[in-house]
Amino acid sequence: MNVPSVDFLPLGAEGAYATKSKPGSAGDFAHWLDQEFTEVNDKLNQADDLVRKLTLGEVDNVHHVMIALDQARISFQLLTQVRNKLLEGYQEILRMSV
Amino acid sequence: MNYLSAFKISASGMTVEKARLDVTAMNLANVHSTRTADGRAFVPMQVISVAKQGAPFASYLSAASLHGAGAQVVGVRERNAAPRMVYEPGHPEADGKGFVAYPGVDPVGEMVNLISTMRAYEANVAALNAAKTMALKALELGGNT
Repeated sequence: MNVPSVDFLPLGAEGAYATKSKPGSAGDFAHWLDQEFTEVNDKLNQADDLVRKLTLGEVDNVHHVMIALDQARISFQLLTQVRNKLLEGYQEILRMSV
Repeated sequence: MNYLSAFKISASGMTVEKARLDVTAMNLANVHSTRTADGRAFVPMQVISVAKQGAPFASYLSAASLHGAGAQVVGVRERNAAPRMVYEPGHPEADGKGFVAYPGVDPVGEMVNLISTMRAYEANVAALNAAKTMALKALELGGNT
């Protein structure tokens, strides 16, 4: 019976993995996340502003305020889910036995 | 931001229905107005609304064309309604024969308009809520929350 030997990564192979994620593109996700944070923050501020305007009587349509609130909520929940998934993956890696 | 297109469409529908409600309220409020502030006779108004996009029907089926879709108010026109002449000789606004020209507001028709406007608004809210529920449900994908 032929038992294959355990193959370690050939020397220099880690270099191949390292080049998969270029240093320049490593910031892509961070950049995207930063952008999303800014966007969600803008939405929350916008909804806040609309609520303030509604209480001051400067808004003529209540549904615009409610829709802005809903949009802010959905955007925030989307971001929360992304963060949850990210942390989940990170903790999964931490739990790996080396 | 494609999931927001349903929000925008429903919002435009709600804005149209709100305008319709305003105009119906205006008509009902002026049932007994003999004239407007500038001296002309008050004529019942009607909201004219159109679909926002004049694109051919086939393009409605592609998601990209839904971005600017919705409904919009293009104008508030005077309805073609003859004034209601009531014989009130003692009225200061009466004409030479003692008739006062009240606007031809049809209260029953306005009430029906009111109800259909409310139902249309509610339908828009229902569509928006469905879109919201779908978006929130999608966020539950693959999660344990």
